[in-house]
Amino acid sequence: MRKANIVMALLMMAVGAIAVHDAVRLGFRWGMSGPDAGFFPFVLGVGVLICSVIVLSKGIRVYKKEGPGEGLIPEGGLKPILWVLLPSAGMVILTALIGLHLAALCFLAFYMRAVGKIGWVKVVLVSVLVPMGLYILFDKLFLIPLPQGLWGGKILIF
Amino acid sequence: MGIGVAIQPYNFLVAMIGLILGVIVGVLPGLGGANGVAILIPLTVVMAPIPGIILLSSIYWGALYGGSITSILFNIPGEPWSVATTFDGYPMAKKGQAGKALVLAFLSHGAGAVLGVVMLSFFAPIIAEFALMFGPAEIFSVMFLTFSAFVGLGGKDPVKTLVSICFGFILSAVGMDIVTGQLRLTFGSVDLMGGFNFIVAVIGLFGLGEIFLTVEEGLKMEGIVARVRWKDVTEGFKEIGRNKKALIMGSIIGCWMGLKPGGATPASFMAYGFAKQSAKNKEEFGHGASAGIIAPESAAHGAGTSATLPMVTLGIPGSPTMAVIMGGLMIFGLTPGPMLFVEHKEFVWGLIGSCWVGNLIGFFIVLAFAPLFAAVLKVRFSILMPIIVYVCAIGAYAVNNRMIDLFYMIGFGVLGYVFKKLDYPIAPMVLALVLGDMAESAMRQALIIGGGNPSVFFRPPIALPIMIAAILIFFWPTITSLRKKYAARTTIGPG
Repeated sequence: MRKANIVMALLMMAVGAIAVHDAVRLGFRWGMSGPDAGFFPFVLGVGVLICSVIVLSKGIRVYKKEGPGEGLIPEGGLKPILWVLLPSAGMVILTALIGLHLAALCFLAFYMRAVGKIGWVKVVLVSVLVPMGLYILFDKLFLIPLPQGLWGGKILIF
Repeated sequence: MGIGVAIQPYNFLVAMIGLILGVIVGVLPGLGGANGVAILIPLTVVMAPIPGIILLSSIYWGALYGGSITSILFNIPGEPWSVATTFDGYPMAKKGQAGKALVLAFLSHGAGAVLGVVMLSFFAPIIAEFALMFGPAEIFSVMFLTFSAFVGLGGKDPVKTLVSICFGFILSAVGMDIVTGQLRLTFGSVDLMGGFNFIVAVIGLFGLGEIFLTVEEGLKMEGIVARVRWKDVTEGFKEIGRNKKALIMGSIIGCWMGLKPGGATPASFMAYGFAKQSAKNKEEFGHGASAGIIAPESAAHGAGTSATLPMVTLGIPGSPTMAVIMGGLMIFGLTPGPMLFVEHKEFVWGLIGSCWVGNLIGFFIVLAFAPLFAAVLKVRFSILMPIIVYVCAIGAYAVNNRMIDLFYMIGFGVLGYVFKKLDYPIAPMVLALVLGDMAESAMRQALIIGGGNPSVFFRPPIALPIMIAAILIFFWPTITSLRKKYAARTTIGPG
């Protein structure tokens, strides 16, 4: 946890540095029509930098005194998180190819079967009926087009 | 006038649907008020503004109710402000009085909400009138006060709160500058030109982030079967009568705290503490004391309702959910703030009317269907979870019809998880992302008016007192720690 705290502070410092850098490019002083475009990001970037330095120095002090402490993710916690994160990310990538509803169908079926160990009948029923219901609700009834991906439009022709 | 709008059959039906959806959203882990509203915003685009806003606010009221069902029956707080309810609600349910505990919670919810709506109905027009005198400097000072409240009174590490606020503002600055049209922080990327939409951020931070936390802890759900009988209702009423003090105290604390951002959670804890301290039966607390349910519930709902006040009158949302509702208003082309009262009177009163109606019928809906809603949690998590992620993805995409938002959603999910673990508060970041453009333009306009002199932010009569209050609140943690140090030094003595 303490190591992660330090890493996070460093990341935030990087964000602050990027903001300041871009603000300098845009100009952060008084321009032709009031404050320049970079004025606001400059102030914020400096704010993030100062605050993260404080968080960082505090974090390092505690780290030196009390050691690394517990990890960010408790033991045995990483696996279930990755089991959610990776398939979800996979669904998003698949969405770009075959559209959201079809990708969700694969995602639902995969997760329920691989993680939940749920019977095949239930898996098929839920993973077909839920996307179908939402497809009818959003795309057909409310006419809110959801992503079709590269090939989704050719598969879902109705 | 407003109630008339709210009870038109169509609007009434919309409110019912919103409430039911809201309770479900409040009950499900990983979905909350902010999220539920965010996901359903695209649906309201096809509706007229008034039923649209009624739907969104009803989801909010429903989610407030739903949070207490899970904390009482499952010991899982659906929302942060229902944590205090678990202290006594779950023990009481364990004793076999689940029905009574639910009735008490819903009744106190109702009472807190009524006080909040009364306040809203009376003060909203007055504050709006007053706010019409605001210039950019005053608007900026109110925003400064809002964020100072997070730093000084938020209860989290003030430095980390500041990081989170600045980070939110930086994210909001990504994209085209509103004044000069220059591209900021885009680094030549076309996707970044559109900036970050806060609704996508809300769905990622609160939805996916929450799911990661839930699966990490390994979700264990041991629910208590509850049926609300008529006897429970009558007993609940009697019990409320016996604990009037806790109810009134809770409602007042809630309504007061709700005015400042992020107020509902501290309000519920404060009310619980006060109720415990002033009670005769202190030892009963933690084992199912009625006042231990009544006080935090009335405070949480009071705060939830009064959070509407700064949103409609000043255009500054008090909570992430209110921020999302405000986003909904903007989609309808309505700018929240004092002008709303002048230009769209019927709309504001419709909203206030729906607060009355929504909270009232919400009470009966949850009372009648509490066991049914609790049954949602009986569905296996490995079925619920992927459906929640799927629905989140629909919401995130439909905001702007951009594929990139789905990737942002996953990114914000990871960020939300890490922020939660490292104790960086999320709510101020979301609010900064929402208010970013407004705060920036107010600041720049004020500076232009003042000719570059920052003293414009301290101009009397309105901006000055607000800024002084904001600065005091901002440095409150420093002041208290200095005072403690001083007190410690004087007790030890010189040398």
